[in-house]
Amino acid sequence: MSSWLDYTINGLIVGNVYALVAVGLALIFGVSRLINFAQGSIYLVGAYIGWVAVVQLHTPLPLTIIVVAVAAAIVGLIIERFGLRPLQNSVRIAPLLATIGISFVLDQLVMLTFSPNPRALPSQLPEVRFQVGNGTIGPLDLLIAGVGITSALLLFVFLRYSKLGWAVRAASQDRDAAMQMGVDVNRVNQAVFGIAAALGGVSGMLVGMYYNQIDTAMSLQATLKGVVAEVVGGAGNVPGAVIGSLLLGLVESYGVAVFGTSYRNLFAFLLLVVVLVLRPNGLFASARQAPPEPLTGTFIAPSRPVRIPRWALAVAAAGFAILPLFPVSFYVLQTLINAWLLGMLALSLTLVAGTIGQVSLGHAALLAIGAYTSALLSLTLNVPVGLAVIGGGLMSAALGTLLISPSFRLRGHYVSIATLAIGEIVSLVILNWESVTRGPIGISGIPPLSLFGYDLISPTPIYWFSFAVMVVLALLQGRLLTSHLGRSFRAIRDDDIAARAYGLSLNRYKSLAFIFGGFAAGVSGGIAAHLYSYINHETFNTQQSILALTVVILGGLGNVVGAILGSVALVGLPEVFRIAAEYRILIYGIVLLLLVRFRPQGLLGTM
Amino acid sequence: MAEQLNSMLSLRGLTRRFGGLTAVDAIDLDLAKGGLVSIIGPNGAGKTTLFNLVTGIDRPDAGTVHFEGQDITGLSPERLAAAGIARTFQLGRVFGNLSVMDNVLIGAHTRLRAVKPAVPAIGPLLELGLALLRPASVQAEEERLREEVKAILARFGERLLPRIDQPAYSLSYANRRRVEIARALALQPRLLLLDEPTAGMNPTETSEMQALVAELNAEGLTILLIEHKLEMVMRLSDRVIVMDEGKKIAEGSGEDVRSDPKVIEAYLGHGLSGTTEQESAA
Amino acid sequence: MTASAPEPLLALSNVDTFYGQAQVHFGLSITVARGHIVCLLGGNASGKSTTMKIILGLVKPRSGEVTFDGASLLGLSTPQIVRRGIASVPEARRLFADMSVRENILMGAFVRNDREAIAQDLDKMLTLFPKLGQRLSQRAGSLSGGEQQMVAMARALMSRPRMIVMDEPTMGLSPLYVDRVLELIRTINQEGVSVFMVEQNASLALEIAHEAYVLQTGKIVLSGPARALKDDPRVRDAYLGGSEAA
Ligand SMILES: Nc1ncnc2c1ncn2[C@@H]1O[C@H](COP(=O)(O)OP(=O)(O)OP(=O)(O)O)[C@@H](O)[C@H]1O
Ligand SMILES: Nc1ncnc2c1ncn2[C@@H]1O[C@H](COP(=O)(O)OP(=O)(O)OP(=O)(O)O)[C@@H](O)[C@H]1O
Ligand SMILES: [Mg+2]
Ligand SMILES: [Mg+2]
Repeated sequence: MSSWLDYTINGLIVGNVYALVAVGLALIFGVSRLINFAQGSIYLVGAYIGWVAVVQLHTPLPLTIIVVAVAAAIVGLIIERFGLRPLQNSVRIAPLLATIGISFVLDQLVMLTFSPNPRALPSQLPEVRFQVGNGTIGPLDLLIAGVGITSALLLFVFLRYSKLGWAVRAASQDRDAAMQMGVDVNRVNQAVFGIAAALGGVSGMLVGMYYNQIDTAMSLQATLKGVVAEVVGGAGNVPGAVIGSLLLGLVESYGVAVFGTSYRNLFAFLLLVVVLVLRPNGLFASARQAPPEPLTGTFIAPSRPVRIPRWALAVAAAGFAILPLFPVSFYVLQTLINAWLLGMLALSLTLVAGTIGQVSLGHAALLAIGAYTSALLSLTLNVPVGLAVIGGGLMSAALGTLLISPSFRLRGHYVSIATLAIGEIVSLVILNWESVTRGPIGISGIPPLSLFGYDLISPTPIYWFSFAVMVVLALLQGRLLTSHLGRSFRAIRDDDIAARAYGLSLNRYKSLAFIFGGFAAGVSGGIAAHLYSYINHETFNTQQSILALTVVILGGLGNVVGAILGSVALVGLPEVFRIAAEYRILIYGIVLLLLVRFRPQGLLGTM
Repeated sequence: MAEQLNSMLSLRGLTRRFGGLTAVDAIDLDLAKGGLVSIIGPNGAGKTTLFNLVTGIDRPDAGTVHFEGQDITGLSPERLAAAGIARTFQLGRVFGNLSVMDNVLIGAHTRLRAVKPAVPAIGPLLELGLALLRPASVQAEEERLREEVKAILARFGERLLPRIDQPAYSLSYANRRRVEIARALALQPRLLLLDEPTAGMNPTETSEMQALVAELNAEGLTILLIEHKLEMVMRLSDRVIVMDEGKKIAEGSGEDVRSDPKVIEAYLGHGLSGTTEQESAA
Repeated sequence: MTASAPEPLLALSNVDTFYGQAQVHFGLSITVARGHIVCLLGGNASGKSTTMKIILGLVKPRSGEVTFDGASLLGLSTPQIVRRGIASVPEARRLFADMSVRENILMGAFVRNDREAIAQDLDKMLTLFPKLGQRLSQRAGSLSGGEQQMVAMARALMSRPRMIVMDEPTMGLSPLYVDRVLELIRTINQEGVSVFMVEQNASLALEIAHEAYVLQTGKIVLSGPARALKDDPRVRDAYLGGSEAA
């Protein structure tokens, strides 16, 4: 029995740590209806500034905290001023993407400055431990709990009872109307980002001290856990975020107790999905409530897509098709093959995120399903590779749709979070289901692509093959968009209540979109598996999901030609400029930022 | 029994509570086929909530809804749309990024046959396949519906037709409301529920709308109308139901209701607006 | 515009407005005299709401001038304009859907700092709209359409503005409340607040207004004292013509 007590205490301690991030996220969500993916990066920056202060400047703890808080707040203000403020009049999804871009940039800058190797961040608190059960609690635990709970309380009071707090909430719900009340929305946002960033920076430092180690991977982990905790507590609900964090800590701790350490994250994301399915607005919001008629605008930018004449598309396609007949280097072909594979994924994502409005952050899971299916079919059942790839597409369509279906009843950002979680779950299942997936070892020796008995080994046939597959998928998708399904998907995206009142079943049409899109993604994954000849659970990760989303935004949400153009641009440009690998993510981040700033509707416009 | 057979919609004891508030309180209502019944009442009386209960957007806490003799209480909006119930929304719910044409075509969604074969289980996959292959029957159906949409839009004179390819977000408020009505008509409903169709329209435009509603009713369409413009209600309705604080406080012909002291107290007041609002149009 | 009017408080002169390529206003000129109620009439899509947005700085005109109390509003942001003393009742209410009714109404007093007077004004609003008194802690987004309209009105009055612009303040209100709101507009005007409003309930609006303008496809086609316009056959023509649709 006493070991359960230990697990409980351990869970609470870890939950405590999550709470620090979750509270900052909740604050920002409360203000800007924004899930701030940069919060994890600020946390990272805070940790490294703390390291500089403690290890190089030898500041005492109170001063360290102040230095970190001020420095992080300044970063927050810069983010607000240059990253988010220019986006005020654009669509709701633009700031979300901007925070993703900012997090790329910040993480990379930290990595380039400090190198990716972990560093020790010594705790500056006395090393006393109190015995509780078999575990111990130190002063740092208490400090972390104190900071988390105090800031949550202060922020709650601030939002609920102060005038500025009201302005913050009003601005988040209807910016124009808030301005008509005389609210200086910019000032408000500044205040909030400053506070949240200070909190985030201090948390990063404290958590670094807690584990006595900091490294650049902290950022994504912190964001993921913070987002889970915050959404479990009800997005924007500050006290809820603390409770959600503790709950998350407990669930993980018990999960680890029963199944072992590699299941820690699996439990975190399962908790999230279960909560979202049972209580779509978080634990503390009422579930049964007909949403009010819309008082403000939609998620998708009002824009008119650029119409490219058919002949121009045909000429471009023909140009790419005959490209290998010219003396181009293998390197160029290789790059374009990557672009076509990414293009298939982007086609899939632009359909579900752009056309039907389910902004998925877990799309790489569909690649993984396709890749594993195709690899295993050809390896263990000796299915011909061509058929295996199609099998991968079908499996991805079926299984992917089934897995993502719990998110069908969600709206807006919740969809993104749920799909992110589902993506993580898929990758964790792959990791843990050793009997089928070979677990952490991965699958090696996957046979190369072959068609009708001919192996495709040199780049030219592979190029033709992948290009042809992509073109066929694009043509099909273009045809789909001009059918009644295209307009039904877009109607559901614009207003799901009105769509239902006219007989459109959300489950049916969201499933169809994911079936169609899942197939394209699965085929892309399948082809990739045979090209790489080795895959494991990390081959298709969150970063790829985000990359695909960048491509889709770049091209214009829902825009078929845009998705392909975006893929070529994002894969090709870094090659053209010969940008070194370590700067690439930095460049993606900057491109994403410039893009949402200057052309939030994408190069070719949303459809 | 004869009346039962003739009844299109009948509500019995319909109730919806929000916390301590009973927004709709034991409402009984009968609407005969081809009839037009209006619901009036002060703001917050529960009219829109009643519409939500009938159309499946919200579920009642008690009571039943029968439509053409079938119990439809608590069915999903999708099924009710398929059964032939269409509605408009008080504040407007057009599909902002869809063109006027596509908005109205969505209204005809439940009438798609060729592209949506009623096959169990694999129906959705067939729909996907047919949407991609588009055999002649599917194309013909789509073409027919497009023509029909143009005919529906023509009912609004020159207000919507010239804007047929514009996205709905760029329309003015009242034109967005018209698109909603057009969308409802495209469903070829057996029962049409209109929630304040003339909000934001001036007297001329209101009488234009009144003429349209009268025409639809004369064509045999059964209509349930919420409206605050009393003159219009008086001219159109077979019967008027007055709600206040969730309850039915009066029911009868327009004249009866208008002179009912309870209605004057709760709804009309002693001012002039009830009688003069459409003066300039009359 | 009218010879008898005192000095103008608000003046739009020669305003041209575009949404992308589409022109909405053609040389629009409107003045609101200090202490007057001015009503803007016009068919659907004639550009009335856009006029409101121009005054509040939410849409910027391509050319022309907008002045308030003698100073130009064109370079100012919306909050700055509001702080000069202009309150608004937006089209379709635009409440803060997830905030309570009480919070919504008090948001109207955001530019003020006199706590006690604000509390008094809140009480006053609740006597004007008793219905809202029972709903103070309800989410504004779940109110009925008419209740929302009342909140929007109360919210605008809370700022003790010098001038209030209203886009269809009686939309969705029951007859009883239409009377009350128009009566209320007359009262606040007598207390010294100038009013500029778009109103479809034309005969009633002309009843309380001093001057009126008729807008047709972005051009003023008629203007003058409300009393004169009320009897002008051309006002009825402008309405009965139905030609504003284009
Ligand atoms: N989700 C909800 N939670 C609490 N109260 C609600 C909710 N939805 C509606 N109400 C209340 O129920 C009452 C009835 O609202 P309803 O929208 O049906 O009124 P209505 O008769 O349509 O009024 P109006 O003419 O103003 O549109 C109102 O007082 C409203 O505030
Ligand atoms: N965001 C926009 N983009 C493009 N066109 C717009 C936009 N908003 C309004 N318009 C167009 O500008 C014109 C004037 O619109 P406005 O909303 O000012 O009309 P209104 O007179 O208020 O009409 P209503 O009585 O229906 O409210 C309309 O033709 C409308 O379609
Ligand atoms: Mg209503
Ligand atoms: Mg308007």
